[in-house]
Amino acid sequence: MLKLMKLEMRKFRIGSYIRAAMIAGVVILGLICLISSIEEIKQGIPFTSYDMAFFVIDTLVRGTYIVFASVLISRLVIDEFRNKSITVLFMYPINRKKLIAAKLLVVVLFTLAADIVANLFVGVGFYVFNLFASVIPGPLTWSVAATSLLKIVMSALATSFLSLIPLYFGMRNHSGVATIVSSLIVVALVCQSVDGFSLYSIIAVPIGLALLGAAVAYMSIRNIEHIDVLK
Amino acid sequence: MTHIVRTKQLTRAYRGKEVVSNVNMNIKQGEIYGMLGPNGAGKTTVMKMITGLVKPTAGEIEIFGERLTDTSYRQLGRMGTIIENPIFYEKLTARENLELHTEYMGYHNKKSIDEALELVNLKGIDGKLVKEFSLGMKQRLGIARAITTKPELLILDEPINGLDPLGIKELRDLFKMLSKQYGITILISSHILGEIELIADTIAVMNDGKLLQEVSMEHIAKLTTEYIEITTNESSKAVYVLENYLHITNVRVNDEGQIRIYDCSIPQNELMKVLVMHDVAIEAVHKKKGSLEDYFLSILNGGGLVA
Repeated sequence: MLKLMKLEMRKFRIGSYIRAAMIAGVVILGLICLISSIEEIKQGIPFTSYDMAFFVIDTLVRGTYIVFASVLISRLVIDEFRNKSITVLFMYPINRKKLIAAKLLVVVLFTLAADIVANLFVGVGFYVFNLFASVIPGPLTWSVAATSLLKIVMSALATSFLSLIPLYFGMRNHSGVATIVSSLIVVALVCQSVDGFSLYSIIAVPIGLALLGAAVAYMSIRNIEHIDVLK
Repeated sequence: MTHIVRTKQLTRAYRGKEVVSNVNMNIKQGEIYGMLGPNGAGKTTVMKMITGLVKPTAGEIEIFGERLTDTSYRQLGRMGTIIENPIFYEKLTARENLELHTEYMGYHNKKSIDEALELVNLKGIDGKLVKEFSLGMKQRLGIARAITTKPELLILDEPINGLDPLGIKELRDLFKMLSKQYGITILISSHILGEIELIADTIAVMNDGKLLQEVSMEHIAKLTTEYIEITTNESSKAVYVLENYLHITNVRVNDEGQIRIYDCSIPQNELMKVLVMHDVAIEAVHKKKGSLEDYFLSILNGGGLVA
């Protein structure tokens, strides 16, 4: 399985995606710094505590990498079907389920890693920014940092699986556009926030969506051996 | 002789319409098996079913002596294929494509890539993306990919599409060489009779999803014998002379009054001499060979055999 994943990453030159993901992280940091400065002027609500700041960062990061995952799905899975290169792949003496599972695992692990790393990077970056700009008064306590970290990891786990939901819409017509558009809808669902309250903070929502993502992945490979690859 | 591929009553239907019906193929080890038929005859669909890309509606396929099921992956490792247009990862170079191929096939002999590229005569492609290739080059690369892993069975669907006449000859020689020297069994399809005729050991004629005839080239060679055709106005008199003085019985007169003599044991000048002696006016004499084309056209048209 590891070898199949390596081959996938080689085939699609994962390096360029890693670079893009890093750039996205930097942009998010810039955005956060900008918003927090303006919000401060406006006496707005979100950036009153580290807790809230990390919540906003996590939401932004999550939204970004869900869309990112859908781009990966569209390249790794949907495009293979669209360009018919899947016929090449399915003529190898390898279980088709494993081939697709390897692709999806690449997407899931990429999203998981990107989500956590970007959260840490932007979080630390914001902390440093705050030392100079003093957006949030008072020091960052260990307990806040620890709880935030735990939340980030849990939320990243859920995010990595729910980012597979767009696969369902993409596979229906082998359309990359449908994949990305549906990912935007997912983002709209899990990243909205009203006065600091988000649907995502109800614990059942992220877990339910993550399970849905896993189910979509399972559905896509369940029958793959018994169907015609291309009509 | 053992069979590499056998199909029994192989059928595939799309929305109730059969595109392949009850095909029974028997491909022997080491032979070049040519599938001949017009576009849409079902050749590609049969090949897709053999490689598992399309599932049969009915019937079964046996490859390397084992029945092909939905999860027969091992057999795929012993085949090399090009189906329809060769497909590659266009954003990678030719070599990267072949490297990925050998990795997936679990074939670890780095030299084989160079050998295959040399065999198909593909040069100066280093650093070039497949995207920039012409159809002919892709076709060559496809064949290179199919033979890199030294398969036992090579499945080639219209492999000469997009190639120039010189390239066609080159590849024809290559296929023959692979078959003779490496003992690779080749299943090849084409709608061009001349191509199949030149390389196949066995020909399967398909039309409308049906396999009309599976026949060895040796057998065809026997059927399509030489004959002498005589054009004359006095055909009945000529036949009389031939039968009574030369004792030739294998004679036929066609609608236009031409006489065909299938007994070639009597030299042509002897024939002429006797006919002239008996005052038969001859307009023309030709020595002809029954063409394969006649033979296959008659099969395709649902008729019997020529001659």
